[in-house]
Amino acid sequence: MPMDHEELKTRFYQLVAPSLPNEWDVEEALASLSAGQDDQVDDILAQVPAIWPVSHSLCFAYLAAVGPALRHLDTGELSLWVHTLLDRYETGGLRGAQLFMADVEQHFFRQMRGQGGLRAVDVFSRLQPYVNGLAGREMPLVAASLAATDTECIFVPDVLDLFVDNEQNFLLYKLTVSFQWASTVMGTLTAPPTVPAGDALTHPLEQFFSSFSCPSRARSLYHFFETGRMLTFLADELPGLMREAAALLPRLPLAEDAAEAVSLLDLLQRGLLRDNWPIRGTDRVVDRAVDLVRHSQSRDADNQDSIEAVKELIPQLEDENDWTGTTPLVFQGTLRLQDAWLALIRQRQERENRFIKALTAHIEHHRAMVPADAEEPEGGQNQSSQQGQDLALIVDTDKQAQRQAPPAPSLRIDNEDILLNEELAQLAAEIRRDLGTMPEEYISSAVGRAGHGFALRQATEADAGQESMGPAVYDEWDYRRKGFRKNWCVVKEKEIPQVQNTFIEQTLHQYRGQIRRLRHQFEMMRTSERFVRRQREGSDIDFDALVESLADMRAGRPSSDRLFIRLARDQRDIAVYFLVDMSNSTSGWVGQAIKEALVLICEAMEPLNDRYGIYGFSGMRRLRCEVYPVKRLDERYSPQVRQRIGAMGPREYTRMAPAIRHMTSVFADVEAKIRLLIVLSDGKPEDYDEYKGEYAIEDTRHALLEAKARGVHPFCITIDRTAHEYMAHMYGAVNYIFVDEISRLPARMPEIYRTLTT
Amino acid sequence: MPGKLLRIDEHLIEQEPYYLATGDEVAIAKAAYDQGMPLLLKGPTGCGKTRFMQYLAWRLQRPLVTVSCHDDLSTSDLVGRYLIRSGEAVWTDGPLTMAVRAGAICYLDEIVEARKDTTVIIHPLADDRRELPIEKRGELLTAPSEFMLAVSYNPGYQSVLKDLKASTRQRFVALSFTYPELEKEVEIVCREGNLEHEVARLLVKLAGMTRGLKDSGLAEGASTRLLIQAGKLIGCGIPVQVACRAAICEALTDDRELLGALDEMVSSLF
Repeated sequence: MPMDHEELKTRFYQLVAPSLPNEWDVEEALASLSAGQDDQVDDILAQVPAIWPVSHSLCFAYLAAVGPALRHLDTGELSLWVHTLLDRYETGGLRGAQLFMADVEQHFFRQMRGQGGLRAVDVFSRLQPYVNGLAGREMPLVAASLAATDTECIFVPDVLDLFVDNEQNFLLYKLTVSFQWASTVMGTLTAPPTVPAGDALTHPLEQFFSSFSCPSRARSLYHFFETGRMLTFLADELPGLMREAAALLPRLPLAEDAAEAVSLLDLLQRGLLRDNWPIRGTDRVVDRAVDLVRHSQSRDADNQDSIEAVKELIPQLEDENDWTGTTPLVFQGTLRLQDAWLALIRQRQERENRFIKALTAHIEHHRAMVPADAEEPEGGQNQSSQQGQDLALIVDTDKQAQRQAPPAPSLRIDNEDILLNEELAQLAAEIRRDLGTMPEEYISSAVGRAGHGFALRQATEADAGQESMGPAVYDEWDYRRKGFRKNWCVVKEKEIPQVQNTFIEQTLHQYRGQIRRLRHQFEMMRTSERFVRRQREGSDIDFDALVESLADMRAGRPSSDRLFIRLARDQRDIAVYFLVDMSNSTSGWVGQAIKEALVLICEAMEPLNDRYGIYGFSGMRRLRCEVYPVKRLDERYSPQVRQRIGAMGPREYTRMAPAIRHMTSVFADVEAKIRLLIVLSDGKPEDYDEYKGEYAIEDTRHALLEAKARGVHPFCITIDRTAHEYMAHMYGAVNYIFVDEISRLPARMPEIYRTLTT
Repeated sequence: MPGKLLRIDEHLIEQEPYYLATGDEVAIAKAAYDQGMPLLLKGPTGCGKTRFMQYLAWRLQRPLVTVSCHDDLSTSDLVGRYLIRSGEAVWTDGPLTMAVRAGAICYLDEIVEARKDTTVIIHPLADDRRELPIEKRGELLTAPSEFMLAVSYNPGYQSVLKDLKASTRQRFVALSFTYPELEKEVEIVCREGNLEHEVARLLVKLAGMTRGLKDSGLAEGASTRLLIQAGKLIGCGIPVQVACRAAICEALTDDRELLGALDEMVSSLF
């Protein structure tokens, strides 16, 4: 029986409840469904709960596209298809998802059969550390349409599907990355000193190319000669890679395979890749070009040779072909000269700023050390104008002197030598390597700033305060798709505003008897040193054992060899974080009890050497998860900490998993035998959006599993009466405790901690 | 006591250990020895600290007593203890006492691993007093001029727990060791691993790449020692890539992705 349109709509609304999408949108999306495929409607709708929470528009797009897609797909493959779709949505947005849905054969089946080629994002995990190792610094890999580098990043093609075998596609990626790295090392994007720099905003090489009637042709030819040079360099530097690539290179497609008119560049490409050079004697220019390629492949060639080759060849070319039909080789990609130029300018600027800032601080420090010298007898107004002229950096540039231990570099300002510290010396060396000299304005501006430095310094300090700790980003577990939502939650560490109140005093007074008892109890748990008697080995002789043993021997009985005493140490190597729910539901006496419990546990922990910290958490929606450090692990239990406990108050919602993930990452830097995360909560995890119920519980459970996998032992103290239903599932049957009477929480908490850690 | 003399003699190094100086370290160490000052060697693992000590001991013709420190090393383990032998309590010197008596070089390897209270006993020995009190025997040993104390540690461990106290470290002449510069490292690997120059050069290059991976999650790159071990495997006929994987990549990390990247480096180079 065909499903009625109204019925379909009702079912859809049930699936996406409690949201109430616009009826008009729903009808339009469902229209394509009701047209047929009755038997498949159940399967199609079954995927809605997985897609709807990710994006409503994606869900509508899915409903519109799923009909045609099912002509290719088996219903059994639908859930896998949706899974891939959600991944695509997260990496490529709605547009990426639509492209994916548009062509099931190209994007899904070929991928399934392993014929879809290799995607760049899938090789980054392996190649990123690889290229960092090559470069000795972080060189981010970025997916782009063509391979390139701007000397800071390396761009590689999104997808490589030139070969059926993905191993070969991978090799091509690896070759691309290595090649682009090589071109930064060998200076393909750096203009040699012979190329005049005119316009400061344009790369000198770019200016050089535009001096020809067809700049793109000059650029292509230059890049080609550089490619030949690079392949020689790689064969020397990474022989293993080039040996493997030797089988691959001749199989790379060339534009020439399809082209009719074969240009010089085509001929050269074919020669370089397939070792199929043009026959000599047919064309004089071609012969000369081949000779030049051979020369650029010699070991001592540099990019000056490539430039000379371009200068020589281009005027001799007769045809007006601009070579746009000749695509660059895959690994070669494009020349991002302008990006590299901008990157260089940026680096110079940064270095200048760093140098001036460091030098300013250094001069100020120096003047503070020798205040008497700072008083110039002339004094007065012309001093500052003179400063600019008396400057000179006398880092000894004499090569002979440098070969012996280099002298400490120093700076002469106002006839006074200032020794540079290590940071400044290094920066100065970098600047001179780049620019050839040390620009005087760098020094004069530092001297100028140091003169009236106070206001300036204050400003920079204020800047530093704002950028304390950036937000951390965590994945979230979606149980419906059995996968992570990547980089889903943003966690910020926020300060608890200081509040003056008498909460602490009252609590200390109210529980004073208990606190005394607790302190005593906890003192007993302290690291103890004790003598263990009758050991086979030890630092001293156990005389009781010795006397017994001698007596035994005299009496003819077998004597013991356990004659030593050993000092044993029971070390408690524990680090614990209390993670406290600060959601709105804890307002009133619940929050009060939790805070009292915190004060008590802190008081009790003081005589103990266990390291402990306290964080609160709350927030609203995935982009504003907040954690509040109350006491960091190695912070003292100071009056400020007490004040922060007093200032803790109910805030927003309970999105628990991001906070747990944050604590796990905080724990990653903590070295301790036992790492304990104690969560205090009053109920289920819940947020303002769709983060509730099973979804929230499963996500929290997953966050706890991740914590366990990283050696953090989670434990929960809850006061929720309905806790038993879900707590065992989330934490495991023995890893939580339910405190039925909230007023007893302060007393129970230290007790619980004691049982947990002894 | 002939038994004891024999034991300390076993620590004498007779054959010249191979050591390629990278700077003034030999001259500084010799000067420190002449002046009766103790030596602190710091540097990453496998960069030649222990080999340097062996070489120094050979140059000075003094026995070398090495103690590898661990977190359960007690004072008695260093100084000595009473043992029961056939019903009698007999005092037995620990390695430190033995070295002081014999005027040997005592080398405490990885000193930060030892318990803090244990390291304190070397204090009077490490300053101008040069004394070792043996409480249990009521004895105060004064070190002869031939005695030298040397300790080593690896500052690369980013742990607050594994750091030397200022009161300890400020008694020493400190020598900082790093991996040798390229040419020297190639020479060392060549000779110790018995390799051809070209293979050694590539191994050192590989090590250089791994040492740049600090930000990618590899705390310490491949040490010279690892390279030599890989070289020895290669010398036994193991294929280069297999030897590198076993001796270098797998030894460096368990992380799958990093292992993958290291494998790519190996296959690029060889």
